[in-house]
Amino acid sequence: MSLESLGIPTAVVITRDFVREAEVQRAALGMSVLAPVVIEHPLSSLTDQEIGARAAQALPGIAGVLLGKAA
Amino acid sequence: MSSIVYDPRGAVSADEKPLAPRLAKLDGIRLGILDNTKWNANKLLRRLRDELGRQHRLLEINYYRKESFSKFADPALIREIAARNDAVVTAIGD
Amino acid sequence: MSSRLVSRSTFSSGAPPEGADLVEWYYEQGFSDGLPVVPPAPATVDAMVEALGGEPERLECRVPPRWGGLTRQVLAVNMVMAGCKPEYAPVVRAALLALCEPAFNLNGVQATTHMACPLLVVNGPLAKAIGMNGGCNAFGSGNRANATIGRAIRLVLLNVGGGWPGDLDKSTLGHPGKYSYAVAENDASPFAPYHVEKGFAAGDSTVFVLAAEAPHSVTNHVANDPQGILDSLCSAMSTYAHNNAVSSGHCAVVLGPEHAATIAKAGWKRLDIRSYLWMYSGNRFRELAFEHRYGKVYNRNLPVWYKRDPDSHIPIVPSPDHIHLFVIGGEAGRFSAFIPGWGHMSAPVLRQIDGSSPGSARCVDGTCFL
Repeated sequence: MSLESLGIPTAVVITRDFVREAEVQRAALGMSVLAPVVIEHPLSSLTDQEIGARAAQALPGIAGVLLGKAA
Repeated sequence: MSSIVYDPRGAVSADEKPLAPRLAKLDGIRLGILDNTKWNANKLLRRLRDELGRQHRLLEINYYRKESFSKFADPALIREIAARNDAVVTAIGD
Repeated sequence: MSSRLVSRSTFSSGAPPEGADLVEWYYEQGFSDGLPVVPPAPATVDAMVEALGGEPERLECRVPPRWGGLTRQVLAVNMVMAGCKPEYAPVVRAALLALCEPAFNLNGVQATTHMACPLLVVNGPLAKAIGMNGGCNAFGSGNRANATIGRAIRLVLLNVGGGWPGDLDKSTLGHPGKYSYAVAENDASPFAPYHVEKGFAAGDSTVFVLAAEAPHSVTNHVANDPQGILDSLCSAMSTYAHNNAVSSGHCAVVLGPEHAATIAKAGWKRLDIRSYLWMYSGNRFRELAFEHRYGKVYNRNLPVWYKRDPDSHIPIVPSPDHIHLFVIGGEAGRFSAFIPGWGHMSAPVLRQIDGSSPGSARCVDGTCFL
Protein backbone atom coordinates (compact mmCIF):
# COMPACT_ATOMS: atom_id res chain seq x y z
CA MET A 1 0.00 0.00 0.00
CA SER A 2 2.87 2.39 0.64
CA LEU A 3 4.05 1.59 -2.87
CA GLU A 4 0.60 2.32 -4.35
CA SER A 5 0.62 5.69 -2.56
CA LEU A 6 3.96 6.42 -4.21
CA GLY A 7 2.45 5.72 -7.64
CA ILE A 8 3.66 2.14 -8.16
CA PRO A 9 0.98 -0.45 -9.04
CA THR A 10 1.51 -3.40 -6.72
CA ALA A 11 0.29 -6.98 -6.96
CA VAL A 12 0.20 -8.74 -3.60
CA VAL A 13 0.01 -12.52 -3.67
CA ILE A 14 -1.58 -14.08 -0.60
CA THR A 15 -2.78 -17.53 0.31
CA ARG A 16 -6.50 -18.08 0.73
CA ASP A 17 -6.38 -18.22 4.55
CA PHE A 18 -5.18 -14.62 4.68
CA VAL A 19 -7.87 -13.08 2.46
CA ARG A 20 -9.84 -11.82 5.46
CA GLU A 21 -6.81 -10.26 7.14
CA ALA A 22 -5.78 -8.50 3.96
CA GLU A 23 -9.33 -7.16 3.59
CA VAL A 24 -9.36 -5.69 7.12
CA GLN A 25 -5.88 -4.19 6.82
CA ARG A 26 -6.76 -2.56 3.49
CA ALA A 27 -10.00 -1.11 4.91
CA ALA A 28 -8.29 0.22 8.04
CA LEU A 29 -5.44 1.76 6.06
CA GLY A 30 -7.68 3.26 3.38
CA MET A 31 -7.12 1.10 0.31
CA SER A 32 -10.05 -1.28 0.20
CA VAL A 33 -10.13 -1.32 -3.60
CA LEU A 34 -6.62 -2.80 -3.88
CA ALA A 35 -7.34 -6.41 -4.79
CA PRO A 36 -4.90 -9.11 -3.74
CA VAL A 37 -3.99 -12.10 -5.89
CA VAL A 38 -5.17 -15.21 -4.07
CA ILE A 39 -3.56 -18.63 -4.28
CA GLU A 40 -4.35 -21.83 -2.41
CA HIS A 41 -3.00 -22.38 1.11
CA PRO A 42 -0.53 -23.61 2.30
CA LEU A 43 2.75 -22.43 0.86
CA SER A 44 5.51 -23.18 3.35
CA SER A 45 5.34 -26.96 3.19
CA LEU A 46 5.14 -27.39 -0.61
CA THR A 47 7.46 -29.23 -2.97
CA ASP A 48 9.07 -27.34 -5.83
CA GLN A 49 6.55 -28.81 -8.27
CA GLU A 50 3.63 -27.65 -6.12
CA ILE A 51 5.19 -24.18 -5.92
CA GLY A 52 5.29 -24.11 -9.71
CA ALA A 53 1.55 -24.81 -9.76
CA ARG A 54 0.91 -21.94 -7.35
CA ALA A 55 2.98 -19.60 -9.52
CA ALA A 56 0.90 -20.59 -12.55
CA GLN A 57 -2.24 -19.90 -10.52
CA ALA A 58 -1.04 -16.42 -9.59
CA LEU A 59 0.10 -15.15 -12.98
CA PRO A 60 -3.26 -14.14 -14.52
CA GLY A 61 -4.20 -12.37 -11.29
CA ILE A 62 -0.94 -10.45 -11.22
CA ALA A 63 -1.42 -9.24 -14.77
CA GLY A 64 -4.97 -8.29 -13.88
CA VAL A 65 -3.99 -6.19 -10.88
CA LEU A 66 -1.14 -4.40 -12.62
CA LEU A 67 -3.12 -3.73 -15.81
CA GLY A 68 -6.38 -2.93 -14.04
CA LYS A 69 -8.48 -5.72 -15.53
CA ALA A 70 -10.62 -8.20 -13.59
CA ALA A 71 -8.52 -11.39 -13.19
CA MET B 1 -36.60 1.18 28.89
CA SER B 2 -33.42 -0.53 27.78
CA SER B 3 -30.35 -1.57 29.73
CA ILE B 4 -27.21 0.49 29.46
CA VAL B 5 -24.60 -1.38 27.45
CA TYR B 6 -21.20 -0.46 26.11
CA ASP B 7 -19.27 -1.18 22.94
CA PRO B 8 -15.76 -2.39 23.80
CA ARG B 9 -14.46 -2.20 20.23
CA GLY B 10 -13.50 1.40 19.56
CA ALA B 11 -13.95 3.06 16.19
CA VAL B 12 -11.98 2.41 13.04
CA SER B 13 -11.75 5.29 10.64
CA ALA B 14 -9.73 5.72 7.52
CA ASP B 15 -9.71 8.04 4.56
CA GLU B 16 -9.76 6.13 1.28
CA LYS B 17 -6.50 6.71 -0.55
CA PRO B 18 -6.37 6.54 -4.33
CA LEU B 19 -4.54 3.68 -6.04
CA ALA B 20 -1.62 4.25 -8.34
CA PRO B 21 -2.47 4.50 -12.04
CA ARG B 22 -2.50 1.08 -13.71
CA LEU B 23 -0.02 0.05 -16.43
CA ALA B 24 -1.01 -0.09 -20.09
CA LYS B 25 1.06 -3.23 -20.67
CA LEU B 26 3.66 -5.36 -18.97
CA ASP B 27 6.26 -5.15 -21.78
CA GLY B 28 9.13 -2.74 -21.37
CA ILE B 29 8.55 -2.10 -17.67
CA ARG B 30 10.92 -2.27 -14.73
CA LEU B 31 9.45 -4.92 -12.41
CA GLY B 32 10.33 -5.07 -8.71
CA ILE B 33 9.93 -8.27 -6.71
CA LEU B 34 9.69 -7.76 -2.95
CA ASP B 35 10.53 -10.90 -1.02
CA ASN B 36 9.11 -11.05 2.50
CA THR B 37 11.70 -13.76 3.41
CA LYS B 38 8.99 -16.09 4.74
CA TRP B 39 9.66 -19.78 4.07
CA ASN B 40 8.60 -20.62 0.53
CA ALA B 41 7.60 -17.08 -0.47
CA ASN B 42 11.03 -16.58 -2.00
CA LYS B 43 10.70 -19.74 -4.09
CA LEU B 44 7.26 -18.66 -5.29
CA LEU B 45 8.45 -15.15 -6.09
CA ARG B 46 11.46 -16.45 -7.99
CA ARG B 47 9.17 -18.67 -10.08
CA LEU B 48 6.85 -15.73 -10.72
CA ARG B 49 9.83 -13.58 -11.68
CA ASP B 50 11.08 -16.20 -14.12
CA GLU B 51 7.63 -16.74 -15.65
CA LEU B 52 6.87 -13.03 -15.96
CA GLY B 53 10.30 -12.56 -17.53
CA ARG B 54 9.49 -15.34 -20.01
CA GLN B 55 5.99 -14.12 -20.90
CA HIS B 56 6.77 -10.40 -21.20
CA ARG B 57 9.70 -8.38 -22.55
CA LEU B 58 10.55 -6.74 -19.22
CA LEU B 59 13.09 -3.93 -19.31
CA GLU B 60 14.56 -5.00 -16.01
CA ILE B 61 13.72 -7.13 -12.98
CA ASN B 62 14.86 -5.99 -9.55
CA TYR B 63 14.71 -8.39 -6.60
CA TYR B 64 14.47 -6.96 -3.07
CA ARG B 65 14.42 -8.65 0.33
CA LYS B 66 12.47 -7.25 3.25
CA GLU B 67 14.42 -7.67 6.49
CA SER B 68 11.63 -9.52 8.29
CA PHE B 69 8.63 -11.39 7.01
CA SER B 70 6.33 -9.89 9.58
CA LYS B 71 7.27 -6.24 10.14
CA PHE B 72 6.30 -3.42 7.80
CA ALA B 73 8.98 -2.86 5.16
CA ASP B 74 11.58 -0.23 5.94
CA PRO B 75 10.44 3.15 4.49
CA ALA B 76 13.83 3.74 2.88
CA LEU B 77 13.55 0.41 1.04
CA ILE B 78 10.04 1.31 -0.13
CA ARG B 79 11.25 4.65 -1.46
CA GLU B 80 14.12 2.98 -3.32
CA ILE B 81 11.78 0.39 -4.85
CA ALA B 82 9.35 3.11 -5.92
CA ALA B 83 12.11 5.14 -7.54
CA ARG B 84 13.55 2.29 -9.60
CA ASN B 85 10.49 0.26 -10.68
CA ASP B 86 7.22 0.71 -12.57
CA ALA B 87 5.35 -2.12 -10.83
CA VAL B 88 5.88 -4.51 -7.93
CA VAL B 89 4.91 -8.09 -7.09
CA THR B 90 5.09 -9.24 -3.50
CA ALA B 91 3.64 -11.98 -1.29
CA ILE B 92 2.44 -12.23 2.31
CA GLY B 93 1.20 -15.01 4.52
CA ASP B 94 2.49 -18.51 5.10
CA MET C 1 -10.67 15.68 3.39
CA SER C 2 -13.34 12.99 3.36
CA SER C 3 -13.40 10.68 6.34
CA ARG C 4 -15.35 7.47 6.45
CA LEU C 5 -16.16 5.58 9.61
CA VAL C 6 -15.47 2.00 8.67
CA SER C 7 -16.96 0.40 11.76
CA ARG C 8 -19.76 1.82 13.83
CA SER C 9 -20.97 1.13 17.32
CA THR C 10 -24.05 -0.80 16.29
CA PHE C 11 -24.92 -3.97 18.06
CA SER C 12 -26.02 -7.00 16.17
CA SER C 13 -29.19 -7.38 18.21
CA GLY C 14 -29.86 -3.87 19.54
CA ALA C 15 -29.70 -2.75 23.16
CA PRO C 16 -31.34 -5.31 25.47
CA PRO C 17 -34.41 -4.49 27.57
CA GLU C 18 -34.06 -3.49 31.19
CA GLY C 19 -33.56 -6.49 33.42
CA ALA C 20 -32.07 -8.63 30.65
CA ASP C 21 -29.18 -10.96 31.48
CA LEU C 22 -26.29 -8.72 30.46
CA VAL C 23 -23.67 -11.42 30.92
CA GLU C 24 -25.44 -13.39 28.18
CA TRP C 25 -25.89 -10.27 26.08
CA TYR C 26 -22.14 -9.52 25.98
CA TYR C 27 -21.54 -13.17 25.05
CA GLU C 28 -24.07 -12.91 22.22
CA GLN C 29 -22.44 -9.75 20.83
CA GLY C 30 -19.14 -11.62 20.58
CA PHE C 31 -17.32 -9.40 23.08
CA SER C 32 -16.12 -12.17 25.44
CA ASP C 33 -12.86 -14.11 25.61
CA GLY C 34 -14.92 -17.21 26.42
CA LEU C 35 -15.36 -16.41 30.10
CA PRO C 36 -18.26 -14.34 31.47
CA VAL C 37 -17.51 -10.62 31.44
CA VAL C 38 -18.53 -8.10 34.08
CA PRO C 39 -21.20 -5.91 32.45
CA PRO C 40 -19.92 -2.31 32.56
CA ALA C 41 -22.13 0.34 34.16
CA PRO C 42 -21.84 4.15 34.25
CA ALA C 43 -20.39 4.21 37.77
CA THR C 44 -17.70 1.61 37.12
CA VAL C 45 -16.74 2.95 33.70
CA ASP C 46 -16.52 6.53 34.98
CA ALA C 47 -14.37 5.45 37.92
CA MET C 48 -12.02 3.65 35.51
CA VAL C 49 -11.83 6.66 33.17
CA GLU C 50 -10.98 8.85 36.15
CA ALA C 51 -8.21 6.43 37.15
CA LEU C 52 -6.84 6.85 33.61
CA GLY C 53 -6.77 10.63 34.10
CA GLY C 54 -10.19 11.67 32.78
CA GLU C 55 -10.73 12.79 29.15
CA PRO C 56 -12.73 9.72 28.01
CA GLU C 57 -12.31 10.49 24.29
CA ARG C 58 -8.54 10.82 24.46
CA LEU C 59 -6.95 8.32 22.07
CA GLU C 60 -4.18 6.27 23.72
CA CYS C 61 -3.24 4.19 20.68
CA ARG C 62 -4.64 2.15 17.80
CA VAL C 63 -4.56 -1.62 18.18
CA PRO C 64 -3.69 -3.82 15.21
CA PRO C 65 -4.64 -5.64 13.09
CA ARG C 66 -8.03 -3.90 13.09
CA TRP C 67 -6.45 -0.57 14.12
CA GLY C 68 -9.39 0.15 16.44
CA GLY C 69 -9.07 3.39 18.41
CA LEU C 70 -8.28 2.72 22.08
CA THR C 71 -9.75 5.78 23.77
CA ARG C 72 -9.72 5.99 27.53
CA GLN C 73 -13.44 5.22 27.51
CA VAL C 74 -12.95 2.07 25.43
CA LEU C 75 -10.02 0.97 27.59
CA ALA C 76 -12.13 1.55 30.70
CA VAL C 77 -14.97 -0.56 29.29
CA ASN C 78 -12.65 -3.50 28.56
CA MET C 79 -11.00 -3.21 31.98
CA VAL C 80 -14.36 -3.28 33.77
CA MET C 81 -15.40 -6.27 31.68
CA ALA C 82 -12.19 -8.03 32.72
CA GLY C 83 -12.91 -7.44 36.41
CA CYS C 84 -10.14 -4.88 37.01
CA LYS C 85 -10.06 -2.40 39.85
CA PRO C 86 -9.39 1.25 38.95
CA GLU C 87 -5.93 1.15 40.56
CA TYR C 88 -4.81 -1.33 37.88
CA ALA C 89 -5.48 1.23 35.13
CA PRO C 90 -1.97 2.73 34.79
CA VAL C 91 -0.49 -0.78 34.42
CA VAL C 92 -2.94 -1.93 31.74
CA ARG C 93 -2.52 1.29 29.79
CA ALA C 94 1.28 1.16 29.95
CA ALA C 95 1.19 -2.46 28.78
CA LEU C 96 -0.99 -1.60 25.78
CA LEU C 97 1.17 1.38 24.84
CA ALA C 98 4.20 -0.90 24.99
CA LEU C 99 2.43 -3.53 22.84
CA CYS C 100 1.52 -0.89 20.24
CA GLU C 101 5.13 0.23 19.82
CA PRO C 102 6.18 -0.61 16.24
CA ALA C 103 9.18 -2.62 17.50
CA PHE C 104 6.86 -5.10 19.21
CA ASN C 105 5.02 -5.76 15.93
CA LEU C 106 1.68 -6.48 17.58
CA ASN C 107 0.16 -6.86 14.11
CA GLY C 108 2.37 -9.88 13.51
CA VAL C 109 1.87 -11.31 16.99
CA GLN C 110 -1.93 -11.10 16.66
CA ALA C 111 -1.99 -12.72 13.23
CA THR C 112 0.67 -15.40 13.46
CA THR C 113 -0.04 -19.12 13.20
CA HIS C 114 2.41 -19.59 16.08
CA MET C 115 0.94 -19.73 19.59
CA ALA C 116 2.85 -16.67 20.86
CA CYS C 117 0.97 -14.08 22.85
CA PRO C 118 2.02 -11.11 24.97
CA LEU C 119 3.55 -11.92 28.36
CA LEU C 120 3.52 -8.99 30.81
CA VAL C 121 5.97 -8.68 33.70
CA VAL C 122 5.53 -5.73 36.06
CA ASN C 123 8.39 -4.38 38.19
CA GLY C 124 8.63 -1.68 40.84
CA PRO C 125 6.58 -0.51 43.82
CA LEU C 126 3.32 -0.24 41.88
CA ALA C 127 3.16 -4.02 41.41
CA LYS C 128 3.02 -4.61 45.14
CA ALA C 129 0.80 -1.59 45.78
CA ILE C 130 -1.95 -2.97 43.56
CA GLY C 131 -1.57 -6.49 44.95
CA MET C 132 0.07 -8.31 42.04
CA ASN C 133 1.53 -11.74 42.72
CA GLY C 134 5.19 -12.50 42.03
CA GLY C 135 5.27 -15.46 44.40
CA CYS C 136 3.54 -18.83 44.72
CA ASN C 137 1.40 -19.58 41.64
CA ALA C 138 2.31 -16.25 40.06
CA PHE C 139 1.53 -17.60 36.58
CA GLY C 140 -1.87 -18.71 37.75
CA SER C 141 -4.19 -18.71 39.31
CA GLY C 142 -5.89 -17.07 42.27
CA ASN C 143 -4.74 -13.45 42.18
CA ARG C 144 -7.20 -10.77 41.03
CA ALA C 145 -4.61 -8.25 39.85
CA ASN C 146 -2.60 -10.75 37.76
CA ALA C 147 -5.73 -12.40 36.36
CA THR C 148 -7.68 -9.28 35.43
CA ILE C 149 -4.77 -7.18 34.19
CA GLY C 150 -3.82 -9.98 31.82
CA ARG C 151 -7.45 -10.46 30.86
CA ALA C 152 -8.01 -6.75 30.17
CA ILE C 153 -5.06 -6.78 27.77
CA ARG C 154 -6.54 -9.81 25.98
CA LEU C 155 -10.03 -8.25 25.76
CA VAL C 156 -8.53 -5.14 24.17
CA LEU C 157 -6.55 -7.28 21.72
CA LEU C 158 -9.79 -9.09 20.83
CA ASN C 159 -12.35 -6.28 20.80
CA VAL C 160 -10.30 -3.26 19.76
CA GLY C 161 -7.56 -5.07 17.88
CA GLY C 162 -9.92 -7.50 16.19
CA GLY C 163 -7.69 -10.49 17.04
CA TRP C 164 -10.52 -13.03 17.00
CA PRO C 165 -9.54 -16.68 16.72
CA GLY C 166 -10.34 -18.13 13.33
CA ASP C 167 -10.74 -14.65 11.89
CA LEU C 168 -7.67 -12.40 12.12
CA ASP C 169 -5.94 -14.51 14.81
CA LYS C 170 -4.63 -17.50 12.92
CA SER C 171 -2.86 -19.20 15.82
CA THR C 172 -2.98 -22.91 15.13
CA LEU C 173 -3.08 -23.94 18.79
CA GLY C 174 -3.24 -20.86 21.00
CA HIS C 175 -2.18 -21.36 24.61
CA PRO C 176 -3.72 -20.73 28.06
CA GLY C 177 -1.81 -17.44 28.32
CA LYS C 178 -4.29 -16.07 25.80
CA TYR C 179 -6.77 -15.88 28.65
CA SER C 180 -4.32 -14.01 30.89
CA TYR C 181 -0.54 -13.85 31.04
CA ALA C 182 0.55 -11.19 33.53
CA VAL C 183 2.87 -11.50 36.53
CA ALA C 184 5.08 -9.46 38.79
CA GLU C 185 8.69 -10.27 39.62
CA ASN C 186 9.28 -11.53 43.16
CA ASP C 187 10.56 -8.54 45.10
CA ALA C 188 12.25 -10.85 47.63
CA SER C 189 14.68 -11.85 44.85
CA PRO C 190 18.38 -12.08 45.86
CA PHE C 191 19.27 -10.25 42.63
CA ALA C 192 18.55 -6.72 41.49
CA PRO C 193 15.10 -6.48 39.90
CA TYR C 194 14.83 -6.84 36.11
CA HIS C 195 14.09 -3.15 35.51
CA VAL C 196 17.08 -2.05 37.56
CA GLU C 197 19.30 -4.37 35.50
CA LYS C 198 18.01 -2.51 32.43
CA GLY C 199 18.78 0.95 33.81
CA PHE C 200 15.71 2.06 35.73
CA ALA C 201 15.75 3.20 39.36
CA ALA C 202 14.35 0.77 41.93
CA GLY C 203 11.60 3.26 42.74
CA ASP C 204 10.39 3.33 39.12
CA SER C 205 7.58 0.99 38.12
CA THR C 206 7.73 -0.61 34.68
CA VAL C 207 5.98 -2.98 32.30
CA PHE C 208 7.85 -5.51 30.15
CA VAL C 209 6.10 -7.22 27.25
CA LEU C 210 7.40 -10.20 25.26
CA ALA C 211 5.63 -12.27 22.61
CA ALA C 212 5.90 -15.64 24.33
CA GLU C 213 5.07 -19.33 24.25
CA ALA C 214 3.80 -21.04 27.40
CA PRO C 215 6.29 -21.61 30.25
CA HIS C 216 8.26 -24.88 30.13
CA SER C 217 8.91 -26.16 33.63
CA VAL C 218 12.51 -26.96 34.53
CA THR C 219 12.98 -29.31 37.46
CA ASN C 220 16.21 -29.71 39.38
CA HIS C 221 16.06 -31.14 42.88
CA VAL C 222 19.62 -32.46 42.86
CA ALA C 223 22.14 -29.71 42.10
CA ASN C 224 23.35 -27.41 44.86
CA ASP C 225 25.47 -25.18 42.65
CA PRO C 226 24.76 -22.67 39.85
CA GLN C 227 26.09 -24.87 37.03
CA GLY C 228 23.84 -27.84 37.81
CA ILE C 229 20.72 -25.74 37.96
CA LEU C 230 21.60 -23.76 34.87
CA ASP C 231 22.49 -26.94 32.98
CA SER C 232 18.90 -28.08 33.48
CA LEU C 233 17.69 -24.78 32.05
CA CYS C 234 20.14 -25.20 29.15
CA SER C 235 18.65 -28.62 28.53
CA ALA C 236 15.16 -27.12 28.27
CA MET C 237 16.45 -24.42 25.92
CA SER C 238 18.42 -26.76 23.66
CA THR C 239 15.62 -28.17 21.59
CA TYR C 240 14.86 -27.35 17.96
CA ALA C 241 11.15 -27.48 18.67
CA HIS C 242 10.54 -24.00 20.06
CA ASN C 243 10.43 -20.91 17.90
CA ASN C 244 13.67 -19.28 19.05
CA ALA C 245 15.63 -22.24 17.71
CA VAL C 246 14.53 -21.58 14.15
CA SER C 247 13.43 -17.93 14.24
CA SER C 248 15.98 -16.33 16.61
CA GLY C 249 14.78 -13.33 18.66
CA HIS C 250 14.28 -13.00 22.42
CA CYS C 251 13.23 -15.37 25.20
CA ALA C 252 12.62 -15.32 28.95
CA VAL C 253 14.06 -17.40 31.76
CA VAL C 254 12.34 -17.54 35.12
CA LEU C 255 14.28 -18.66 38.19
CA GLY C 256 12.24 -19.99 41.07
CA PRO C 257 13.36 -18.54 44.43
CA GLU C 258 15.03 -21.75 45.67
CA HIS C 259 17.14 -21.96 42.52
CA ALA C 260 17.83 -18.24 42.66
CA ALA C 261 19.00 -18.48 46.29
CA THR C 262 21.45 -21.29 45.47
CA ILE C 263 22.89 -19.36 42.53
CA ALA C 264 23.13 -16.08 44.48
CA LYS C 265 24.84 -17.82 47.40
CA ALA C 266 27.66 -18.80 45.04
CA GLY C 267 28.16 -15.13 44.18
CA TRP C 268 26.76 -15.27 40.65
CA LYS C 269 25.00 -12.20 39.28
CA ARG C 270 22.41 -11.64 36.57
CA LEU C 271 24.91 -11.26 33.73
CA ASP C 272 26.78 -14.40 34.83
CA ILE C 273 23.54 -16.39 34.68
CA ARG C 274 22.46 -15.06 31.27
CA SER C 275 25.92 -15.54 29.84
CA TYR C 276 26.19 -19.14 31.05
CA LEU C 277 22.77 -19.96 29.67
CA TRP C 278 23.63 -18.40 26.33
CA MET C 279 26.99 -20.09 26.00
CA TYR C 280 25.97 -23.61 27.04
CA SER C 281 22.59 -23.91 25.27
CA GLY C 282 22.08 -24.38 21.56
CA ASN C 283 21.57 -26.84 18.72
CA ARG C 284 23.66 -28.18 15.85
CA PHE C 285 22.84 -26.70 12.48
CA ARG C 286 22.23 -30.22 11.08
CA GLU C 287 19.25 -30.55 13.45
CA LEU C 288 17.72 -27.24 12.33
CA ALA C 289 18.30 -28.31 8.71
CA PHE C 290 16.70 -31.73 9.29
CA GLU C 291 19.92 -33.13 7.81
CA HIS C 292 18.91 -31.38 4.53
CA ARG C 293 16.69 -34.33 3.71
CA TYR C 294 13.82 -32.08 2.60
CA GLY C 295 16.04 -29.84 0.55
CA LYS C 296 19.05 -27.66 1.28
CA VAL C 297 18.32 -25.40 4.27
CA TYR C 298 20.02 -22.06 4.93
CA ASN C 299 17.44 -20.40 7.20
CA ARG C 300 17.52 -16.68 6.61
CA ASN C 301 15.74 -16.07 9.91
CA LEU C 302 18.97 -16.79 11.74
CA PRO C 303 21.74 -14.15 11.84
CA VAL C 304 24.08 -14.16 8.83
CA TRP C 305 27.08 -14.57 11.12
CA TYR C 306 26.04 -18.07 12.27
CA LYS C 307 28.05 -20.70 10.43
CA ARG C 308 25.85 -23.15 8.53
CA ASP C 309 28.13 -26.20 8.60
CA PRO C 310 26.33 -29.35 9.77
CA ASP C 311 27.98 -29.37 13.19
CA SER C 312 28.08 -25.62 13.70
CA HIS C 313 26.83 -24.58 17.14
CA ILE C 314 23.67 -22.51 16.77
CA PRO C 315 22.80 -20.50 19.89
CA ILE C 316 19.16 -20.34 20.95
CA VAL C 317 19.24 -16.53 20.75
CA PRO C 318 21.95 -14.21 19.34
CA SER C 319 23.33 -12.91 22.68
CA PRO C 320 22.95 -13.11 26.47
CA ASP C 321 21.01 -9.83 26.24
CA HIS C 322 18.32 -11.64 24.28
CA ILE C 323 17.62 -13.68 27.43
CA HIS C 324 15.32 -11.79 29.82
CA LEU C 325 15.82 -13.08 33.33
CA PHE C 326 13.25 -12.88 36.13
CA VAL C 327 12.96 -14.29 39.64
CA ILE C 328 9.36 -15.35 40.11
CA GLY C 329 7.56 -17.92 42.21
CA GLY C 330 6.96 -19.32 45.66
CA GLU C 331 9.59 -20.04 48.29
CA ALA C 332 9.21 -23.81 48.17
CA GLY C 333 10.07 -25.94 45.18
CA ARG C 334 13.21 -26.39 43.11
CA PHE C 335 11.67 -25.35 39.80
CA SER C 336 12.46 -22.73 37.21
CA ALA C 337 11.04 -22.17 33.74
CA PHE C 338 12.09 -21.44 30.19
CA ILE C 339 9.70 -19.27 28.18
CA PRO C 340 10.52 -19.23 24.46
CA GLY C 341 9.64 -16.20 22.39
CA TRP C 342 8.20 -15.82 18.92
CA GLY C 343 11.33 -14.87 16.98
CA HIS C 344 13.19 -11.92 15.51
CA MET C 345 9.91 -10.60 14.08
CA SER C 346 9.06 -8.99 17.44
CA ALA C 347 11.21 -7.09 19.92
CA PRO C 348 10.19 -7.02 23.60
CA VAL C 349 9.48 -3.59 25.03
CA LEU C 350 10.24 -2.23 28.51
CA ARG C 351 8.36 0.92 29.46
CA GLN C 352 8.02 3.03 32.56
CA ILE C 353 4.44 3.08 33.75
CA ASP C 354 3.99 6.82 34.02
CA GLY C 355 5.86 7.31 30.73
CA SER C 356 8.43 9.73 31.99
CA SER C 357 12.02 9.43 30.82
CA PRO C 358 14.16 7.09 32.94
CA GLY C 359 17.82 7.25 33.90
CA SER C 360 20.61 5.65 31.97
CA ALA C 361 18.64 2.98 30.09
CA ARG C 362 18.61 3.16 26.28
CA CYS C 363 15.12 4.57 26.21
CA VAL C 364 13.14 7.12 24.23
CA ASP C 365 9.99 8.77 25.62
CA GLY C 366 9.82 6.23 28.41
CA THR C 367 9.91 3.22 26.11
CA CYS C 368 13.05 1.10 26.01
CA PHE C 369 13.91 -1.08 23.05
CA LEU C 370 15.89 -4.03 24.30
